[in-house]
Amino acid sequence: MKKSVIRVGRFRLAAGLAAGFAVVAAAWCALGQNRSLMTVTPVTYLYPEQVTVPAGRASALTLHFQIAQGLHINSHTPSDDYLIATTLTFPAGSGVRLVNADYPPGSDLTLAMDPKTHLSVYTGEFAINAQIVAQAGNHLVEGQLRYQACDGSQCLPPKTIPVAIDVIGR
Amino acid sequence: MLAVQERLRGARGVPYNIGMRSFPVRRNTLVLGAVLLLLAIFGWAGWANWEYRQQAAERQLALERAAHPDIQVPTMAGTASPSVTALEGKPAPPFTLEKLDGTKVSLASLRGKAVLVNFWATWCAPCKIETPWIIELQNKYASQGLEVVGISTEGEDLKADDTAGWAKQKASIADAVKQLKIPYTVLINGDSLSDQYGGLDALPTSFYIDRKGTIVASQEGLTGEADMEAKIQKALKE
Repeated sequence: MKKSVIRVGRFRLAAGLAAGFAVVAAAWCALGQNRSLMTVTPVTYLYPEQVTVPAGRASALTLHFQIAQGLHINSHTPSDDYLIATTLTFPAGSGVRLVNADYPPGSDLTLAMDPKTHLSVYTGEFAINAQIVAQAGNHLVEGQLRYQACDGSQCLPPKTIPVAIDVIGR
Repeated sequence: MLAVQERLRGARGVPYNIGMRSFPVRRNTLVLGAVLLLLAIFGWAGWANWEYRQQAAERQLALERAAHPDIQVPTMAGTASPSVTALEGKPAPPFTLEKLDGTKVSLASLRGKAVLVNFWATWCAPCKIETPWIIELQNKYASQGLEVVGISTEGEDLKADDTAGWAKQKASIADAVKQLKIPYTVLINGDSLSDQYGGLDALPTSFYIDRKGTIVASQEGLTGEADMEAKIQKALKE
């Protein structure tokens, strides 16, 4: 059986292949540059924005947070004293008292360059289960979450973000 | 007319000639090549789309919190941010800072030596990982004129008049120096140099300064002992 053969100009074939690869390579490089200049907010408070609770009685409140992809923050009980624990606080005199905060347990993280060091961290989304007591009335509480974020090779300075909740005590 | 006929014959699989020189390619090979190229492009497009969606999600998060100052995060491990690499080839910004015992040390006093300026903090786990490497490199290259200066950036959220806060910070730095057995010079209040040294948005950040006082290399994040050694050698040579 005779196999079909096409005769193609050598330069046309080479030019076609080179152009194809050049397009793919250029797109790849453009994507890479975009990525290295990424700006992220390490931790974002998600919700709730408003809650209604019985006035003068302890009530459960679950606060949800999101950690940026590729970053982690220390848990509330970090693996070493020198590490900064993630901590939620409510300001005094806001009409809402933070009685207790139950933090989730941290996940164990080992850094690639030092497998002996184990860290207790949060990644992705996490929630803090709080107990609050609100006075009667409408209170705009400016809570605060203090944390310190890192990726696999570097750390950002400790930061405190606002946790704004409208608490209605009835 | 003849050329058109030749093209039509070529489309039916009969050998044909285009241009001055040509060579035979089997139709199956050509088809297989085209299919593989298409598959590669589809694969790349899928990956690019996934990346784009990840970036879009992160941009959205950043927008939602636009009211709060963001921090630029170099996400490529070991790749220094532009504000840090921009200092390479330039004279190292001068500084005078205190040691834990209150003694003042200036960069100018180290002229004639190659200097590794390592910004770190006690809360920075990667900084603690690279500290033993720095100690080892200091021991190895001290005789050739290397001087290591560790600058703690502790206290960035403390006010200048917070005496108790600063005392606590100093105690924690002293404790870390003792625990890590750091033999080289450690200075405090490094955050005061953040503007001159590229923002110090992430730690560890290091600058390698040659004997004439020029920054010849920089580093943000853990890059490994071998990379640090190569940069020290560069600073010693120039």
